[in-house]
Formats: sequence, structure tokens, C-alpha cells
Amino acid sequence: MNFLFYLAILVLGGLIGYKNLLDDFWVKKLGCIQNYVLLFLLFIMGVNIGIDEDAIKYFHVIGYQSIVLAIFAIVFSIFFVKLISKKVLQGNEGVGNDN
Amino acid sequence: MTIKIIISVALGIGLGILAIPQAIAAHMSIMIDIGLCLLLFFVGIDIGNQGNILTKIKKMGLKILLVPLMVAIGSITGTMIGGKLLHLPINEAAAIGAGFGWYSLSAIELSKHSSELGALAFITNVSREIIAIITIPFVAKYIGKLESIAPAGATAMDTTLPIISKVTDANIVVISFITGVVLSSMVPILVPMLMMMSR
Repeated sequence: MNFLFYLAILVLGGLIGYKNLLDDFWVKKLGCIQNYVLLFLLFIMGVNIGIDEDAIKYFHVIGYQSIVLAIFAIVFSIFFVKLISKKVLQGNEGVGNDN
Repeated sequence: MTIKIIISVALGIGLGILAIPQAIAAHMSIMIDIGLCLLLFFVGIDIGNQGNILTKIKKMGLKILLVPLMVAIGSITGTMIGGKLLHLPINEAAAIGAGFGWYSLSAIELSKHSSELGALAFITNVSREIIAIITIPFVAKYIGKLESIAPAGATAMDTTLPIISKVTDANIVVISFITGVVLSSMVPILVPMLMMMSR
């Protein structure tokens, strides 16, 4: 299962962060490195979609329907999470919403 | 950061269509895996630096599971309403929504019924991932940090987790991971179940 592997990596990083095993130089650079890796990953994910001939071919045919369904799924998910966000975050300082 | 995110994805898609040879395709998933592991490792370090995250999460308890539940209800309701507007059978629209952005599995599962439905599930869930990548920073800023997990769906535990980490805080990242795991576990159960309901 993929998620166990991801969990293992997160826990490994978490332990290194928790035990302060990285020196200050790397801790300061971490945010910057993270940005570059994130943008590179998103670029590669974009390439992966772009070179997928099926994805592009089907997008021309059913792109409109797909976008409508995706937007509705996202909007309603946000709406339903909004309904319970106060209850979930209640009593947790520093975890509240921006607004 | 949001602009940079949009440019990176758009540039990647554009180059993928126009310039990058198909032969590269075989190496793409390994590059994505390496990048993803690296980012999750950094996200882990961020969480570890916060120190008391697990205590806070423990304090929230089972309430956390309301997040994946609401994302699931929202996704399925949303695609049912969207499907109604597009004159799609309601169970098919619901099953597409139950892919929660996990395009490979939902598409494979729905291709068993028809290749058109599989293709629609595939493109809808690819679109969901792209729209999520672009909108998560806006949702976090203008609607709420917890709500920024919603667009991600099942990808909240992997591909969109680094973005959620950038625009929220360590507590939300942990909730996001749990949400992604729960939703991913629901996809193989819900998609066939919703399709069976039509019979």
C-alpha cells in the first residue's frame, strides 16, 4: 500500500525534525528547497498529463463535461467541510481559519 | 506562489503536448515518485519541528474523520447535481464523484461498465487534481485552512499534500494525510457500489 510508504517517509522526516537532527543551515534552506522541488514536481505532473495522448484526445471530446463535474465536486466538498470546520478545529489554538 | 504553481503545471502540460517525446513517458512515474517522496520527507520535518502536533491531533479525536466524510458527501452530491445538469445518469455521475481525484483507479473501475464512462471518470478526476492544485492556495487564504483539504480529495495524502503544507500549518497537514488515506480506501468500495445501485 502506497500510503504506508508515504507514512513511513513522513514519520522519518518528522523524527528528524522533532529531534533537531538537521543543522541550522539546512533548516533555514528547507523552505527554499521545498519550493523548488514542489514546482519541479508540479511541472513533471503537468508533463505527465501533456504526454498522455488519451488524456488529451478525450479532453477535446468530453472536456466540458469533465470540468463541470470536477468543479461541482470541489465546490460541494468545500461547502460540506465548511459546515464542520468550526466543530473539528474547536479548542485547538493556532489551528483556526484565516477568516 | 500560486502564480508559480499555475505556471509550472501549465508549462508542463504545454511542453508535454508539444515538445517532450513519448519515449520519456515511461520514466515519468519514477520521477514523480522521487519528487513526491522528497517533498513528503520535507513536510515530515516541518511537522516534527512543530513538536506538539500529535497531542493536538489526539485532542481533536474522531472528529477528524468528519473531514473525509464531508469531502465524500460533497464530492458525490456535487457530481450528482453536475451530472443532472449534463443529463448524465445519476448513479454514473455519483460513481465518477466517488473517484475523489484518484483518476487511475476510478477510470479502471468504470471502464468495466463502458469505455466512455471510464474516459469521463479519468478526465474528470484529472481535471479535479489540476483544479485542486490551482485552487488550494486560494481556498486556504479566503475560505479556510481546513477547507483547503476539500478540493484535494484522495490526493490529500500525496500529490497535493505539499501544496496544503505550503499554505496551511502542520496540524492541517496531518488532518490532510488522514483524509487522503480514508478517501483512498473508500474509492474501491464506493465506485462499484454506486454503479450497482442502478441495477
